[in-house]
Amino acid sequence: MPNNSIKLLAPDVHRGLAELVSKRLGMKLTDSKLKRDPTGEVTFSIGESVRDQDIYILTQIGAGDVNDRILELLIMINASKTASARRITAVIPNFPYARQDRKDKSRAPITAKLMADMLTTAGCDHVITMELHASQIQGFFDVPVDNLYAEPSVVKYIKENVNVSEAIIISPDAGGAKRAATLADRLDLNFALIHKERARANEVSRMVLVGDVTDKVCIIVDDMADTCGTLAKAAEVLLDNRAKSVIAIVTHGILSGNAINNINNSKLDRVVCTNTVPFEAKMRMCPKLAIIDISGVLAESIRRLHNGESISYLFKHYPL
Amino acid sequence: MSNDIVIFGGNSNPELVNLICENINVSPSEVTLSKFSNGETSVQVGVSVREKDVYVIQSGFGHVNDIFMELLILVNACKTSSASRITVVMPYFCYSRQPDIPYTAKGAPLITKPNNTNPSKTSLSTQKPGPDNSKSLEKAIRSSMVKTQSSSRIPMISGKKDQAHSSEAGELFKAQNAGYKLWVVQSGTLIANLLTTAGADHVITMDLHDPQFPGFFNIPVDNLYCRPLFQNYIQHHIPNYQDSVIVSPDAGGAKRAAAIADALKLSFALVHKERRSQLLKGPPGATLTSGGVGGALSISTKPLLKQEELRDVKRVASTPTIVQTTMLVGDVRNKVCILVDDLVDTSYTIARAAKLLKDQGASKVYALVTHGIFSGDALNRIKQSSIDKLVVSNTVPQNKALEVLGEEFVDILDVSRVFGESIRRIHNGESISMLFEHGW
Repeated sequence: MPNNSIKLLAPDVHRGLAELVSKRLGMKLTDSKLKRDPTGEVTFSIGESVRDQDIYILTQIGAGDVNDRILELLIMINASKTASARRITAVIPNFPYARQDRKDKSRAPITAKLMADMLTTAGCDHVITMELHASQIQGFFDVPVDNLYAEPSVVKYIKENVNVSEAIIISPDAGGAKRAATLADRLDLNFALIHKERARANEVSRMVLVGDVTDKVCIIVDDMADTCGTLAKAAEVLLDNRAKSVIAIVTHGILSGNAINNINNSKLDRVVCTNTVPFEAKMRMCPKLAIIDISGVLAESIRRLHNGESISYLFKHYPL
Repeated sequence: MSNDIVIFGGNSNPELVNLICENINVSPSEVTLSKFSNGETSVQVGVSVREKDVYVIQSGFGHVNDIFMELLILVNACKTSSASRITVVMPYFCYSRQPDIPYTAKGAPLITKPNNTNPSKTSLSTQKPGPDNSKSLEKAIRSSMVKTQSSSRIPMISGKKDQAHSSEAGELFKAQNAGYKLWVVQSGTLIANLLTTAGADHVITMDLHDPQFPGFFNIPVDNLYCRPLFQNYIQHHIPNYQDSVIVSPDAGGAKRAAAIADALKLSFALVHKERRSQLLKGPPGATLTSGGVGGALSISTKPLLKQEELRDVKRVASTPTIVQTTMLVGDVRNKVCILVDDLVDTSYTIARAAKLLKDQGASKVYALVTHGIFSGDALNRIKQSSIDKLVVSNTVPQNKALEVLGEEFVDILDVSRVFGESIRRIHNGESISMLFEHGW
């Protein structure tokens, strides 16, 4: 296999994570250029030959300009495809439209499936993502999907930053119970559950706590924090139940709408997000935010995928 | 009309949707298009589409990527809800322009970065008429072409030090990839495949920039023409149109303009830019205008050449002085000129063509445009240009054009009848080729 090496591409916005990953891999980002029309149409060109190379395209999709990022990613994949790349892997830590994964009412689109189809249509051979909202989304794809977990990174963070002996893991809804329970098992901690009745998306109604949190440091874990209304409400419920303090750890900190206000006005001590979503700019407005860096996991999975090694080790262990 | 037809309108051009629906006497069906707080598009289809013939109208204008994703998700929602056929009606098809790559004399794409970035060394003004003038002029024009290409749609990898993130990689790339020619992605096939993937069974559009574009699809594409509407306008709204000249503002649109000229038995002229090989040995009657930097140069031995400053026509931040070469083929003196183009975006081309026509003695300049995108400062540029009247279709909403240019200056051609009739005919399984020739 002569001359087959990793090439890492990233769009020209939100390059933070891509640069961290490329540093970990000990290589430079491949030179490329995106140009936008005033109307948003994108033209793209790659600054070097990618013929017969192993291409990784890393894109961070945050709140706001989701559709722009998706079209850019598709065009970049298609560009690599027509440039005779050997294999193209889309690295999408925060998979967009993951919550529209079922036909929850009549004539609702299954946009997650459409995303999967579009990625393969563009020419994607492999997908690396993190903490899919529903792991069944992997089945929407005709190509292999590696769904990485933030859990090892979260375990490491908790061990280093929280007094584990007085902590308890909280799931903010019934759907996240399994995630919270696994994490509690890993850390050998108790776990409690907040049951909520949700009227409409992004709207919180009544909340009931199941379990005892008296004098405990509560760690709310969730895969996604959007407007943070749920987290703020959950923190209140926990403190009403005599919890000592509350922190939240979420994988994808989308933090859209008035999330920053919600966090600032809430009783949460800290909201910790991984850097799958670009939110560095928001940290200046909200001192309660903190980052868990997952670039190591992504870099190691790229290295292992390129060398044909197993990735399942990363599901349980933090890479050295 | 039978009740198994369902029409959905996207957010891009609701006015046109209503006009089309009025024409075929069907009211647009209920669909809620909005965004979640995180920026993802939300689509809720309000009526049953099971076993229906669905038409989704969305023009590729506005914030294109949002518009396009909205279209894909809406089509997919109809697909998963068991629609029998889904037809995408896209009056202006986004991403249909392929990047225009300038070519060298040998046919290789001219997209390497010029070595010499100092404009004074390559500008026309340094050339002196002399025995070997033609050669050096040719060279100078070639280098001016290299410079102007940064203003085209082609992104360039810059090796300049001030471009922080790409400079180091650029150096590295130069060391490793000597001989690699930068190329630009052609996204046509991708866009076509995405529509088919989402579930579209048929596409109706108008005046595609590339006639080859339907070939990218695996589904039928009906490309309607604005030409009959143009002809109709010329015949009924331009006084003494028999004496007017149809002008194409660039070589690419020559065929389109010539077809109108032939149909109306009018004479035809062509404005032509940046083609070096024909520049010096142009056909008899050709008039050349080229922009110079810092003063015009006069070549008395060559009467065909006329130098003129066109510095205000093109200006790009990175290269302050841009030289453009333009040539008119045909006679327009004391005539009414009708510029015909399929798409106007920045309006540089059409404004430059209009100026050249006026300089050559044209009495009045009309501009007939199918898709008026008019991004950025385009409308003001048209206002200040030599164009006397702008005629544009409503494939793209033209409220802003009316606002900026005034109703006196702009005439809007309504394409809704053509689209309505094509929807009716496609729904009933009738031929639509008659619409190509006669309009509706």
